[in-house]
Amino acid sequence: MSRIGVYVCHCGLNIAGVVDVEKVAEYAKGLPDVVVSRHYTYMCSEPGQRMIQDDIKVQNLDRIVIATCSPRMHEETFRRTVEEAGLNPFLTEIVNLREHVSWAHTHEPEKATEKAKALVRMGVARVRLLEPLERRKVSVEKNVLVVGGGIAGIQSSLDLANAGFKVYLVEKSPSIGGRMSQLDKTFPTLDCSACILTPKMVDVAKHRNITLLTNAEVTDVKGFVGNYEVSILKKPRYIDAKRCVGCELCTKVCPVKVPDRFNENLSEKCAISIYSAHAVPKIAIVNPDYCLRLKYKKGVCGKCQDACDAKAIDFDQQPETIQVKVGGIVLAVGSEVFNASRMEELGYGRFKNVISSIEFERISDASGPTSGKIVTPKDGKTPKTIVFIQCVGSRDKRFHEYCCRVGCMVTLKQAILAREKIHEKVNIYVCFIDLRAFGKGYDEFYRRARDMDIDFIAGIPSEVHGAPDGSLYFDVYDKGTNKLFEIHADLVVLGTGLVPNSDLGNISALFHASRSADGFLLEAHPKLRPLESAMGGVFLAGACQGPKDIPDTVAQASGAAAKAIDLLSSGEIELEPLKAVVDKDLCSGCRICDSICPFVAIEMKTEIVDGNERFRAEVIEAMCQGCGLCSSACPTGAIKIQQYTNRQVMTQVQAALAGAQVEGGK
Amino acid sequence: MSMAKPNLESREKILAKLSGRELVNCFQCIKCTSGCTALKLLELKPHEIIKLVNLGLVDELPSSDIIWTCVTCLKCVQRCPQKASPYHVIMALRNLAVEKEAKIPEAYLKAVSQILETGLIETPQKIVTRKMETLDRDCLKLPKIKPPKESFQAVFMKAMEEK
Repeated sequence: MSRIGVYVCHCGLNIAGVVDVEKVAEYAKGLPDVVVSRHYTYMCSEPGQRMIQDDIKVQNLDRIVIATCSPRMHEETFRRTVEEAGLNPFLTEIVNLREHVSWAHTHEPEKATEKAKALVRMGVARVRLLEPLERRKVSVEKNVLVVGGGIAGIQSSLDLANAGFKVYLVEKSPSIGGRMSQLDKTFPTLDCSACILTPKMVDVAKHRNITLLTNAEVTDVKGFVGNYEVSILKKPRYIDAKRCVGCELCTKVCPVKVPDRFNENLSEKCAISIYSAHAVPKIAIVNPDYCLRLKYKKGVCGKCQDACDAKAIDFDQQPETIQVKVGGIVLAVGSEVFNASRMEELGYGRFKNVISSIEFERISDASGPTSGKIVTPKDGKTPKTIVFIQCVGSRDKRFHEYCCRVGCMVTLKQAILAREKIHEKVNIYVCFIDLRAFGKGYDEFYRRARDMDIDFIAGIPSEVHGAPDGSLYFDVYDKGTNKLFEIHADLVVLGTGLVPNSDLGNISALFHASRSADGFLLEAHPKLRPLESAMGGVFLAGACQGPKDIPDTVAQASGAAAKAIDLLSSGEIELEPLKAVVDKDLCSGCRICDSICPFVAIEMKTEIVDGNERFRAEVIEAMCQGCGLCSSACPTGAIKIQQYTNRQVMTQVQAALAGAQVEGGK
Repeated sequence: MSMAKPNLESREKILAKLSGRELVNCFQCIKCTSGCTALKLLELKPHEIIKLVNLGLVDELPSSDIIWTCVTCLKCVQRCPQKASPYHVIMALRNLAVEKEAKIPEAYLKAVSQILETGLIETPQKIVTRKMETLDRDCLKLPKIKPPKESFQAVFMKAMEEK
């Protein structure tokens, strides 16, 4: 005989506004073994928790059912409550009356109340069969993997390394720096991007706690929170990193021209090159798709080898796989820029003088293809009229519904830069829908742009035309003046939004980090756990979690680092005791569980029983995440998941059916 | 200036005529009007019509001339970032105008009687060649156009009423 306490939470009016909580609590009193049943405004509050604890002590309760919000929200809270009162924390059952009942059936209060009763009945049936469990403790690796070397990855790595953790920073490109290194100035202070970023890049390279792996990718992730085993593929640079001094002599002799990715293909570089002016590490790299020697083999070209005094060029370099053990992972893989050629009407890709905002950054940057002179890509002339068009690819149901969160400020910055840098008379227009300047110092920045005589047109053009003489023109209707303007522009800059990386799907699969509807990586909770993925020990930083500007990215990166430190600093972590256990006698050794376990937690062992060899499955406790795949696949029912045994689940199902009207004898 | 008088009932009538309610998503980016083929000559401003419908200022729309200026180029449908489709709203207003027996431009009435009589939306035209010869169907030895079957008119009228 159990002694069960049932507690129905109002959650203010979140639950009580729809469900008749009094009726539910009254109903629970009549259920078998229920000794106490109460309802209260906020069960998670201090008085609410004390109510449960007092009842446990006074009424001698040994099982608790709490009908409240989702267990994802407060299961841990209530387990602690119960534990403090001296009861095993795993003898509690959470019934979700908020997400599953009141929020889902807002307009049907009576039916909702009936559903709430049924769920409480199921909870009571199940709680009687729960068994006390002990939490597992495992030791953790005090190393962290940071994926992505943009400003987010750099900030996370530095914070972690300064706190004494060993960091492996993996970057796909030949240099760290990411998107921020491509920018000219940063809003709202107009700091030079390179001036504030480069010192941090150098710090990363010099830090004794950071192992920097550029031109590398993570290829495999095994293990679980605190104990991940990661394989990193280091692609060949065809350069001996220890010998190369970054003198760039090789780039003077290389005969092959390649589009320069760092300059958004606005200029060319050589097949052997240094990634950018501020590259860290400043080591050359050979592009194997273009290099004559690597493409045609043997004896061809090799001019760079002759030019290199340091003898650093090594065409025989092979890819190398590195295995590292880490406790936590920070994903900081960033985002891409919307490909504006998908929005055909604006002419990007058809007209050379229609450019994206990231291309404008390269044109405006002193280390860019025009050495910082703002000129048109088509003819290299100073533009007399520049038009910025907002929300390209963002806030658009055809492409991406979300706001890109940086476009308005980027445009204001670029408009200001154009006004400051071009000394001749130039007309600058900004065509916008809503101008969002919401951050600290951002609206002041918007005012600064207005001060500088920049014309804001409240309206977006429908299409951009090319005149026979090569100039651009379009109509735009301004809703402030109710007038139609025909604008002839020399340069049209599209405010292209940020979009998820094209290989984010692979990354999400590799790290078991799920994605939200907008395609970015999904945080564990939009408000309360914005720095973590749902996968234990995998943290999120920067634009891979959603479009972000630099201040927000840096804040999130430091936060993610702090979260990783919080997880790993004690050297051990507690794991949920919900794991699979094998009944030796029932296991037939069929290996089905072994083949489907996503965490590689099943080991097949041979045993001698009564002189006969027997093959059977064993669960590696530390690896098992309690997902239950093995349990549902096992043909003999030999594997069960603690807290979710067949008997516990079936009893719950029976309780659900007990109250239902079963018609037709089925 | 007179006060705006929203009429939410009439607004519901128009919404009921549209299969989706996407027009309420319009955030007035003005793309439709910037590119409207009928704007320069006929002053059609699709964004204004959408806003008027959304705010319930619809009473004068069905009887106004402006809804008949749309040339149905469908640019606004294709480019609207919120799929609010001003074109479909204008078509709904036209249908409402017919229901209310408001004044309909003669050309449209002529088109209807033309279809009823001949089954064609256009009358057969004469064409002029580069050598300035005028040709008609007879010259080109094209067959005579037959009037539609009798049942056509009944089916056509029924379809019109249903719409």
